[in-house]
Amino acid sequence: MFDAVREEIAYAFDRTVFFRNHMEANALRPEDIRSAEDFQRIPPTSKSHYRRNFPAGVLAKGYTLNSPHVMRFQSSGTSGDRLNSAILAYDLTRRQATALGVNPRFNELWRPGTRPRICRFAPPNCSDVECATGFSSMADRTLPDGTLVLTVAHDLLATPEWQVVKAFDEIEAYQPDLLVVDSTHLAFLARWGRRLGRTITSPSKLHVVSGYTLMTRVARRQVEDFLGDAVPIGDMIGMSELGYLGFECHLGNRHINNKDFYVEFVRDGKPVADGEMGELYITTLDDGLVPRIRYATGDHFTPLGDTCGCGTELPRVRIEGRATHMVRLLDGRVVTPGEVDAVVGDAPWMDLYKLEQDPTGACTFRYIANLTARDDDVTALEKRLTELLGPNPSRVEAVDYIACERSGKFQSCVSRLAAEETP
Amino acid sequence: MNTQHSYRDDFPALRREIDGQPISYLDNAATTLKPQSVIDAITDYYTNNGSNIHRGKHRLSEEASDAYEASRVVLANHIGAAANELVMLRNTTEALNLVASGLDLGPDARVVGCVDAHHSQLLPWRRVGHLDLTTVDPHGRIDRDHFRSLLRKQPKVVALAYCSNVTGVIHPVRELIAEVRATCDATIVLDAAQYLPHQRVNVRELDVDFMAFSLHKMLGPTGIGCLYGRSEALMGLRPLAVGGGMVDWVDMDSSVERRIPYKFEAGTPAIASVIGSAAAIRYLEALDPVQRHRHDMDLCEALVSGALARSDVSLIGPPEVTDRIALATLRLDKGIPAGEVARLLSDSYGFMARSGHMCAQPLVTQLAGGETLRVSAYIYNEVSEIEGLYKALDELLGLMGPAHS
Repeated sequence: MFDAVREEIAYAFDRTVFFRNHMEANALRPEDIRSAEDFQRIPPTSKSHYRRNFPAGVLAKGYTLNSPHVMRFQSSGTSGDRLNSAILAYDLTRRQATALGVNPRFNELWRPGTRPRICRFAPPNCSDVECATGFSSMADRTLPDGTLVLTVAHDLLATPEWQVVKAFDEIEAYQPDLLVVDSTHLAFLARWGRRLGRTITSPSKLHVVSGYTLMTRVARRQVEDFLGDAVPIGDMIGMSELGYLGFECHLGNRHINNKDFYVEFVRDGKPVADGEMGELYITTLDDGLVPRIRYATGDHFTPLGDTCGCGTELPRVRIEGRATHMVRLLDGRVVTPGEVDAVVGDAPWMDLYKLEQDPTGACTFRYIANLTARDDDVTALEKRLTELLGPNPSRVEAVDYIACERSGKFQSCVSRLAAEETP
Repeated sequence: MNTQHSYRDDFPALRREIDGQPISYLDNAATTLKPQSVIDAITDYYTNNGSNIHRGKHRLSEEASDAYEASRVVLANHIGAAANELVMLRNTTEALNLVASGLDLGPDARVVGCVDAHHSQLLPWRRVGHLDLTTVDPHGRIDRDHFRSLLRKQPKVVALAYCSNVTGVIHPVRELIAEVRATCDATIVLDAAQYLPHQRVNVRELDVDFMAFSLHKMLGPTGIGCLYGRSEALMGLRPLAVGGGMVDWVDMDSSVERRIPYKFEAGTPAIASVIGSAAAIRYLEALDPVQRHRHDMDLCEALVSGALARSDVSLIGPPEVTDRIALATLRLDKGIPAGEVARLLSDSYGFMARSGHMCAQPLVTQLAGGETLRVSAYIYNEVSEIEGLYKALDELLGLMGPAHS
């Protein structure tokens, strides 16, 4: 594997202005990197580097943004960290195939000579089309690879009924094999579906891949209830600029793609041991267009180091979330969005929630209850959250509306305190 | 007189770096950045006062009222108007809507406009009357013959734009007004939002009935637009909004409106922003007008010549630099999306330029066929920035053009 890393370093050094400068600024040359230990001498690269240097500085010599198979895109990025990038279609497919390979329920999606019909229902800023206005047609919102992007408002819960109906109508007309969604968005559509008496069906077998934000158990429960057991649902670990970084196996565990990427989990500049949380650094392998070396993703994971019963060789990880979404407690502990979600559970009495830590450290848990909610449910959750978040003050508040981030994403757990303290 | 270098130093936003590189702000036709003196004036009001104006007898209220009204005088003086002829509103759009709705035109009233107008000088008139649009030539210059023919239909209103926010063309407004006066008795309403930031206007010499402009396009804070109206024209205008602050007397059955301009300023105004607007005018008036104009022309020359020197962009507007402001709207050839280019110019090179239809969709569709890229410069910009932008554009278009591998 490390030979492939060395080849990628040599390629990036030779073919991209940015990475050559990055190495030279640190008095390094490709031949200095002979081992995994040497590799850590290369300072991590960041989204900021690639944003500033795109395209001229990071696109490999010989390519333009119009070269065959180049897909280019812009997105708001997580928490408004903008992104402009490009990817080779076949690299995307290769990574997708590796990741989805951990889940046999998705096997029939890919048949030789065919491409699944994909429909996307996700935050509008994550798409390359103007999907938040009512004027666009299905043709306007069909990407070059054939993916149909459905319309939705930037502020999810403010999406008007006509736009919801349009989404149902277009799914029906498009007959997708695969829905690529933000699970909060699809749960929203599911609630509307029940209200309107609409369902999501397709003549071919439907599959759901969830990405963009943490798939909460509350959202997953609603999606599963709405679509039924026959529809496979998989949680994707991914980034717009890299594609599929991992996927959920049929046993519900997350696996990281270490075949198409060289992955590191790093804390304080050093690799973490199994069972410890670290930031994911990605090095692409055989990426001819935009090779990335030690790309600090900002996403944190815990490598678990165990073997999963699903049979895949891809290592198992636990998703922890972004640094800016982690709740920082007065006693020095950090609570991840995943931990909050575990405490909330699938909460059948709840439609949506969001935990927000303010700059003083206090936490507010807002939720939208459904008709089945009982006082006991709320009291029990309040107790669990107090235990999780103590010694910081916390309160639970029932609401009938929760706003999305400006980027259009709905984050279930955010920390203004962490955001202020994160460089 | 400030030097060009110190202009830039006066604008704290220009000290900002994004992803480790300085920024170049070239979206001035949308809004301008604010000098420190404007920021200080606003901060000073909130730091040391913060009270409401006009209807209080206490010390702070009186001070705030004085500062507010003194600001009105500064703004009115800047355009050669009397203070009572200047209505303080939110923006040019609100000012033009006030006139359109307040003239009480009948549904058959004819209004003559121009196809290159901003939506805010088109849609209010379309709502209240029959709007005839004067055409422009392929370079955006007004078709004088067509204009004359429309005047012969005896319009009630002629709605002019001094300068197009798409082509940068400065129309011969003085001559157009003279033609209107000679042909019909139409009310003349002028949108000076793009022109006034670059050149002084004297409303009396211009013989215009109403003129609207926005302070945020000339270094002032957002949220302040002004409507000048000749006092007799203003007196005949129906207020757009009624409520507190615009009446002298209210009883169970009736009310008595205040005199002009107060009857158009219902509710608590943006006091701090009005005070900040006066600071902006003082800043502009302290500059040497001759040097400022020369600098504007240098920027204009760089924008126009840069566009004309390139084969893969088309200039939407005249190829000469006379009678135009320092603004260039570009159509990118080969179907390269302007929005994507604007984003890359920003994120990769630090150049902030605008893309889209520029709130003048009929004209942009006619002249460009779709979205455009607009680069608009102001006093703190330098020719080297424009040269840098074109160099970045060359690099980008080279990478976004036809495939070669």
